[in-house]
Amino acid sequence: MPLFYRRGFRRLLQQGLYVAATGLLFWYIYDALNLREFGFGFLSDPAAFKVANQWLIDIDGVTNSRITMYLVGVWASLRVVFVAILLSTVVGIVVGVSRLSSNWLVARMAMLYVEVFRNTPLLVQVVLVYAIFLVGAPIIQEVLNIGDFAFVSNRGVAIPWPVPDAGLWGLPDWGVGVWVALLIAIGAVAMTVRRQRQDRERATGQPQYGNRWAFGIFAVGALVTFIVLGLPVSIDRPYVEGTRYLEGMVIRPEFAALTIGLTLYTGAFNAEIVRGSIQALPRGQTEAANAVGLSAYQRMTLIILPQALRQMIPSITNQYLNVNKNSSLAYAVLYDDLFRVAGIIQNKAGHALEMFFVIIVTYMLISLVISAVMNLVNARVTRVGV
Amino acid sequence: MSELPPIPRPEQQPLPPAGGPRRIVLPPHRERARRPRSVRAREWVRRNLFPSWRGTLLTALAAGVLGLIAAGVIAFVFFGANWEVITHNRWLLFAGGFPREEAWRLWVSIAVVFGLIGLAYGTWSSLGRRDHLFVLLVGGFVIFLMAHGGAEIWSSVYFLIAVGCMYLGYLLTYQLPRATSSLRTLQVRVVGGLLILALPIVLLLLLVGGDVGIRSLDGFVLNLVLAPVGIVGGILIGIPLAVGRASSLKSISWTCTAYIEIVRGAPLLGWLFVALFILDDIIGGDLIIRAMVVMAVFTGAYMAEYIRGALQALPRGQYEAGQAVGLNQWQRTRLIIMPQALRISIPPMVGQAISIWKDTTLVTVILPLRELKGNADSAISQFEFTPDRIEAYVFVAVIFWIVAFMMSRISQRVERAQGVGER
Repeated sequence: MPLFYRRGFRRLLQQGLYVAATGLLFWYIYDALNLREFGFGFLSDPAAFKVANQWLIDIDGVTNSRITMYLVGVWASLRVVFVAILLSTVVGIVVGVSRLSSNWLVARMAMLYVEVFRNTPLLVQVVLVYAIFLVGAPIIQEVLNIGDFAFVSNRGVAIPWPVPDAGLWGLPDWGVGVWVALLIAIGAVAMTVRRQRQDRERATGQPQYGNRWAFGIFAVGALVTFIVLGLPVSIDRPYVEGTRYLEGMVIRPEFAALTIGLTLYTGAFNAEIVRGSIQALPRGQTEAANAVGLSAYQRMTLIILPQALRQMIPSITNQYLNVNKNSSLAYAVLYDDLFRVAGIIQNKAGHALEMFFVIIVTYMLISLVISAVMNLVNARVTRVGV
Repeated sequence: MSELPPIPRPEQQPLPPAGGPRRIVLPPHRERARRPRSVRAREWVRRNLFPSWRGTLLTALAAGVLGLIAAGVIAFVFFGANWEVITHNRWLLFAGGFPREEAWRLWVSIAVVFGLIGLAYGTWSSLGRRDHLFVLLVGGFVIFLMAHGGAEIWSSVYFLIAVGCMYLGYLLTYQLPRATSSLRTLQVRVVGGLLILALPIVLLLLLVGGDVGIRSLDGFVLNLVLAPVGIVGGILIGIPLAVGRASSLKSISWTCTAYIEIVRGAPLLGWLFVALFILDDIIGGDLIIRAMVVMAVFTGAYMAEYIRGALQALPRGQYEAGQAVGLNQWQRTRLIIMPQALRISIPPMVGQAISIWKDTTLVTVILPLRELKGNADSAISQFEFTPDRIEAYVFVAVIFWIVAFMMSRISQRVERAQGVGER
C-alpha cells in the first residue's frame, strides 16, 4: 500500500495540517494583540473608586487595592446568584406543579406566567422591575413606614437584621463565635440521632420520627445555648435619618431589581423543567399513589417530586449556571457586581485582556462550584434504596 | 286491466318496551358526550373549577389574584400610562438612525421576509384559526401604532402589502400537492433555497448602495439583523465544531472542546466586552460587525453542544450502515449522520435561537450601539418623557415577546412537520 493511503499516515497528516493551521491562527492573534504590557501588576494599585451595595464589608475604596474592590464585586455577585437560585427554584417548583393542576384556572395562570417571562429578554425584565421600583416607590422624604419595623422608599427596603452584640452579662463579642460552634455541634448530634432512628425504622418497620426528633433537638439546643450565652445576637432595627437609612439591613433597588428579574426569568424555565420531568414519569406512579390512598399533597411530595427530581437535576443545574452568567446584567442597573467592577477597573487602568481573563476565570470558578454542589445533590437523589 | 299486487307492508315493529324507546348504551365517555352541551359545560366547570371545597377555595384565590393583576394592568394600560412616549418616538424605536429617504429598503425587506414566511408555511404546514387571529392582533397593533398621531398613511399601506405578500405566498404553495413526488421535491428545494438566501438578500437590500451602510442599522432593525446573523453564523460554526469534538483525532477534539467550554464559560456580556476592547486589534472592522462576529462565535458553541447531543443520540447502526454500503467518512457524515442529527436537534436549536433573539438587547449594555432597548432609553431621556420609563420598557417587552412567541410557535410546527420526537 502506498504511504499516502495508509490510515496511520493519513491521520498523522490530517493532525499535522490541523495543528499547523491552528498554530498559525494563534500566532496571528498573539501578534495582533501586542502583549508587551501584559501583566497583572496593575491589580494591586490603589483603586480610587467606590462601590455601592457592600454588605458585611466596609471599604472606602480610596486606599484599597483594585483586586480588593474586585473581590467585593465577586461577593456582591455571589449574593445575587445565591438568592436568585433559591427563589427561582421555589418559583419553578410551584409554577411547574401548578401547570399540571387539575384546576383549570390555576393551570392557565401558570402557563401565562411561563409564556410571558420566558419570551421576554431578561435585560428588559430587570430594567422594568428597576423602573417600577424607582417610579412606583415613594421618595425617601415620604418614606413608607411599616410600624417602625420596615421602611420602603426608592432608596430600597430597610428591614431589621440580627447582629452579634456584647451580650447581657458583658460577655465579649466571641459569645457569637461560641454559639455558632455550639450550633454546629448540636446539629451534628441531631443528625446522628436522625440517622439512628431512621436505621431503627428501617430495621423494625415502626415509625421513629427521625426528622421530628432531629428538628426538636436542634431547636431546643439552639434556644437553650442562646439564652445561656446571654443572647449574643440582637435585632438591629433600621431608622431613617435625613435622606439615608441607618442600621438594619437595606435591600437596595439595584439588588432587588436584579434578583427579582433573575428569579422571574429563571423561574419560568425551571417551571418548564419541573413540568417536563413530572410528565416524563409513568402514569402508573400516580395511580399507585392513589391506590394506596395517599392525598394529593402526599402523592406529590412523597411519590412524584422525589422521582421527578432525578430527571430534572441536570437541566436545573444548567439553569443555575445560566443564573451565574446572567448575573452580569447587573451592569445594566449599575449594581456593583464582579462584571461592573471589572469594567470600572478596565476603564481606569486599561488592560482589557487581563481583565477579561480575570472575569472568565471567576465565572468558571463559580460555575465549577455550582456544578460540584449539584453533582453531590445528584449523587444523593439518584442513589436507589435510600 | 289487472290490479297491481299490493305492496307488501313491512312487518309491524315490536312495540318499544314500556318506559320509552330502547337506546343503545354506549361506553361511559361516549354516553357523557351525548348529553346536551349545557349539561356538559356545567359538568366541566364543576370538575375543573369547583371539584371540592378546597378546589373552590383555590379557584377563588386564583381568581382573586388574577383579578388584581388584570385590574392593575388595565388601569395602567388604559388610564395611567402615557403612551405618547412610544407613538412620538415610533421611528426612533423602529429604525433610529436609518435614513428616512431610504425607508423603502426596510419595507421591501419586510415584504420579502413576510412572503417567505408565507411560502414556508404553505409548504410545510398550514395556518389555523389561531394563526389568523395572531396575525390579525399583531397587524392591528402595528397599524394602530402607525396610525396614531398623524403619521403618513403610506406606512400602514406598506405594512398591509407585506401582510398581503405573506398570504399570497401561503396561498401559492398551499394549493400545491403535498404527496411525495418530483414536483413536491422541487417545491421543497426551491422554498428551502429561498429561505437560505433570505438573509443575504435582506442584508444586500439593507446595506448596499445609496445612502446606507452598516452603521445605518439602528433600533429594532438592528435586533432584526443581529439575531439571524448570530443564528445562521452559529449553526455554520457549530456543525464543524460538533463533528470536531466527536473526532477520534485528539488534537482536533481537544481544541474543539476547549473552544466550546471557554466560550460557554463566560456570559455574552463578557464576550461583547471582548468585541469592544480586544477584537479591535484582531479583526478590526466596524463595531456592529464585531458584535455580529461575537454573536455567531458565542451561539456556535451552544449550537455545537446541541448537535453533539444529537450525534450521540443516533444509534451506532447508522454509522455502521453507512460503512456497509461503502460510503467514506465525509459521505457518511454528509448524507447519513448530519441530516438526522440536525433533525433531532431542531427543538434545542430553536430554543437557542429564541435565547439569542432576546440577547440582542445586551448589545446596548456595554457597546455604544443602539438597538430597541437602547433607543427606548434615548426616548425616556427626552425631557418631556422622563417619567414614562415603565411605558417604554413594557412596549419593548411586548415587541420582543411577539417575535419570540412566533418563533416558538413556528418551531412547534416544524417539529410536527418533521416528525421530531416520533419514531
